[in-house]
Amino acid sequence: MAMNGAPHPLQVHRLPQPNYIDFVRWVPPLSALDRLVAAAVFDSSSSTSALQILSVTLTQTQTQTHPADLTLQSSWPSPSRITALSLSLLRHKPLLAAATADGSIHLIAADPVDLGVDSVGSGAIHAGPVSGIDLVEGGSEIVSVGDDGRVNLVSLNESRLSHRRVFDGNGLVGFAAAKWASPAEFATGGLGFGVQWWDNRKPGGPVSQFKGNWARGTASGIVHSIDIHPSRKHTVIAGGSSGTVFAWDLRWQQQPIILSGVATGEAQAHSPLESEVWEVRYDNYMHSLNIGNISSSRILPVMTCSEDGILAVVEQDEEPIELLAEPCAINSFDIDGQNPSDVICSLEWESIAILSRP
Amino acid sequence: MPDLVSDSGQSSVVPLSPDSPTPVVCPLHHGLKPPISRLSLSWSRGNSLRVSVFRKPAEDGEAGGKVVEVKLGDGDGEIGDAQWRRIAYGSVSPFALLQSRKNSMLSMSRVSASSSPYGAEWWDYVMEYSREINVLLGGQKLPPSSVIEDPKTVLKKVEEPNCLKAAWELMEIFYADKQIQTWTPERLLDWLADYDSLLSGTQPTVHSKLVNFEKELVGLQAIEEDAKYWEAISSALAVGWLDIAVKMLRLHGSYQLDQLGSRELENGLVEAVAVLISKMPRMRPGLAPGKLGECYKTKPDFIKAWETWRAQITKLDCSAFWVQCDHRQTREGLKNLLQIMLGNANILSSATCHWIELHISHLLYIRPFTMGLESMYSLAQKCMQLKPMSSPHKLMRLLLGILGENIEVVLAECSRSFGPWIVAHAVELLTAGSTQADILLHEERYNLGGISMEELHRLVYAQVLSSHALTWQIAPIYLTSCMKQGMGLLEILLYKQPVQHNKILLKNIEICRLYELDNVRSKITKIAGVHQWKHGKKGSGVFWLQQARDEVRLNRIAQQLFDFVGKSISDESFKQWEGLIELLGSETRTAGGLEFLHKYRDFKRSLQKVRDGIATAAAQKAAESLILLMKNPSTPHRFWLPLLYDSLKLFNWQECPLLNVSQTNLLLNKLQGLSMARLRPDFIEADLPPQALSSVRLALATNLGRAILEE
Repeated sequence: MAMNGAPHPLQVHRLPQPNYIDFVRWVPPLSALDRLVAAAVFDSSSSTSALQILSVTLTQTQTQTHPADLTLQSSWPSPSRITALSLSLLRHKPLLAAATADGSIHLIAADPVDLGVDSVGSGAIHAGPVSGIDLVEGGSEIVSVGDDGRVNLVSLNESRLSHRRVFDGNGLVGFAAAKWASPAEFATGGLGFGVQWWDNRKPGGPVSQFKGNWARGTASGIVHSIDIHPSRKHTVIAGGSSGTVFAWDLRWQQQPIILSGVATGEAQAHSPLESEVWEVRYDNYMHSLNIGNISSSRILPVMTCSEDGILAVVEQDEEPIELLAEPCAINSFDIDGQNPSDVICSLEWESIAILSRP
Repeated sequence: MPDLVSDSGQSSVVPLSPDSPTPVVCPLHHGLKPPISRLSLSWSRGNSLRVSVFRKPAEDGEAGGKVVEVKLGDGDGEIGDAQWRRIAYGSVSPFALLQSRKNSMLSMSRVSASSSPYGAEWWDYVMEYSREINVLLGGQKLPPSSVIEDPKTVLKKVEEPNCLKAAWELMEIFYADKQIQTWTPERLLDWLADYDSLLSGTQPTVHSKLVNFEKELVGLQAIEEDAKYWEAISSALAVGWLDIAVKMLRLHGSYQLDQLGSRELENGLVEAVAVLISKMPRMRPGLAPGKLGECYKTKPDFIKAWETWRAQITKLDCSAFWVQCDHRQTREGLKNLLQIMLGNANILSSATCHWIELHISHLLYIRPFTMGLESMYSLAQKCMQLKPMSSPHKLMRLLLGILGENIEVVLAECSRSFGPWIVAHAVELLTAGSTQADILLHEERYNLGGISMEELHRLVYAQVLSSHALTWQIAPIYLTSCMKQGMGLLEILLYKQPVQHNKILLKNIEICRLYELDNVRSKITKIAGVHQWKHGKKGSGVFWLQQARDEVRLNRIAQQLFDFVGKSISDESFKQWEGLIELLGSETRTAGGLEFLHKYRDFKRSLQKVRDGIATAAAQKAAESLILLMKNPSTPHRFWLPLLYDSLKLFNWQECPLLNVSQTNLLLNKLQGLSMARLRPDFIEADLPPQALSSVRLALATNLGRAILEE
């Protein structure tokens, strides 16, 4: 790096917000000049929630421009607190899916011209809080899961969301995360470090599942977030309690690859991640060029954020790289799809941090 | 509420003192139809008041009551809720860092047994802490008014000042910053320059005078003709705002090119005064850019420079040029400025508005070598006699407490005017400064329940934090720094958090992990488990109970399961039940009852196969499972009879006896034990037909006979 001239160090800008931020996502820019962010906010004084589109205001110093403030562009009031948020592009327009604590799901479209947000369809789908939601890439089909143990496929049907129940656990199981692998397959994760693989075409139950009793001798936990890489559909990465991040390969189902966590044993006694890992996501920065060169059995780098305030990149058999160590929890983060050097995260203490990597 | 009722003087509950502010009446819209029969008031979270309105029960289909939450403002309004939270979040790290440094220094001193627990670096730590907090309190930055500086703007503002920051800085000046002890008056001068505008609200100040003059300035042609111009300059000079005084002097008409020729002498005098002002010696290490004066770090240098400067002023004052100056206002105005610099008390008094301004001017021009709080305090009292104030500003009350060296007054003023946040954090500054304060604040007091004042204020602040859904998570930092009651209150706080939402629950548990409160953690997870179980989320319920390692409840669940499934084995319920057993996991150490359930499931499964067909192999397997179950010590006694009763078919198996002699003997022994146990008072009768025991005994006896024959 140092050979190539002037590598600027990691830059972090913390922007205090007037509200609590539950989730934050980059919105693909509608024009070349904008940097847009979608945030699920909670106003504690009025106990109301909203989905906001914010634009990043930049300031210019002598050497570089950096984010200075977030300006509210538009807001959609949510009937109850937003518990999950997903985003996709449908015909070059950003489409957001927000799930709430009262079990409803809302599809919200952002207008490319005036940046306005409007609900295009909603429906009451779950019996309790929806805990995980994912929009299929380039479409409006949603997979949603909840504490109630239900797995639903939700689709837009003339401004109403209709759903098909794939599975009902009757409260015996609880799910916390869902992610599409292909338009027909998806994965879910939840209690007891469980990960399930589902196929739309094979109803009745999960096609295969991983029961989390692999961590013998340590307490079990919850999978909070999962991710699947578009070029590695056979591998699900999952992050959860006690700093645990593992990869579950469908080809070797009995042997999850543990990337981080207290369960890694004595070999890696000082794992920097110790508490709840709230989100995991493949980090395609640096590796975007040579992804073909990496063996398909090697796990690609994964970014995680955790309750103890650490944003880190975890790699197989390597020490995690800490990007951010905050005094408060990092509740969610997102890597910019077009410009993967930029990361945005929402902090427990009512603020948003924007990182730009060298 | 102090309403009309109290006017009669008979039914009032709270006696109203006559000097209390007039009660504010705000109408509440509850939207209920009258008549209202009952009102109930209680505190809700934070500053909210919960008002419950009830109607008389009526059959008109209207709602019977309503609950309204009324948010009570905290009066001041200078700092909004969101800003307060930002301050609360930001002060956590400096506070925690200072505490850990203090603890490590205390433990170091215990080892080295030196006289003072705090080393020299302690002051650096305290100052670092104070500066970090100070930055945090920074008001809103104002946008730069324009790129090109307006020559007629006299006052420059970088940020909106606020009282909280002003109060913090006052305490920093007097308690924390040990390096500035020699130049405290200069620091006070800087402080006043920043915050004089805050005092303008209650009475006129130099700042308000300058603001008013600035407005008129644009319309004035020959400003030196105007008496207000000279007044403004002398006021600015009196309180030591040299840059403003010089800048205004240079607006004098004689500087204009077309007039320079005719008013050369006059201009020379103006410039001479301006130069003298900008050369004023100052007892301080340095000046901010743009500020005027010449700095001297040591007292002897300063005294020498001061005397030279004074001599220069006297020389100019006695100069012959004044007679030749024919512009009366300029001559008088400039002479007045010289008098200020020479320390003419009367002129200083008329140039300043507020007593603190007079105080500063005295420190600058009359007693430049004043040091020590005692002399500053007596001077302040003198100034207040000259310029009395109708109702003292909260900052002035605080300053008087500080100058009077009365820690209790300072604390009381802080708490009364600026709230619990500042008290909890300023204690660090107060105790850093003096041993007396250290003793006063750390002494355990009987009337406070054995805790010290420091702890009391931290607890009060922690209580404020705890009452808000977004700040309760930082309360533990303050609670754990309280030796006596902190941990107890922390436990209560953790127990009080809602358990319904996994996310909050996990954040709660994380705090338990950080502070190694394992027993609290296990209790919280127990509560969560029971809550989830009761709300039908059996999976989460079992998960949390397993986290809590609550064997008692897990066994209870296992027994409930048994009862539920034992009655009817339909396919659907079996599936349900199996799912739950799956969930309960195979980890045998979590619950003995579960181990039994697993075996019981296997047994039931094979028994079912036996029912479906007549395969002897399956029956053999079922019999083996039964023996395993009966041998296992974790199988509860109350299930022995139902198990045996379920297996009647196995004992009477047609093809061959499925159990050998020793196995049958084992079962008979168990049956014997069961009959004995029946006599005990705590025995629970199984839900089976009354002849169950005898039919099992008969079947076993038959089986035993056949087995003996077989062998």
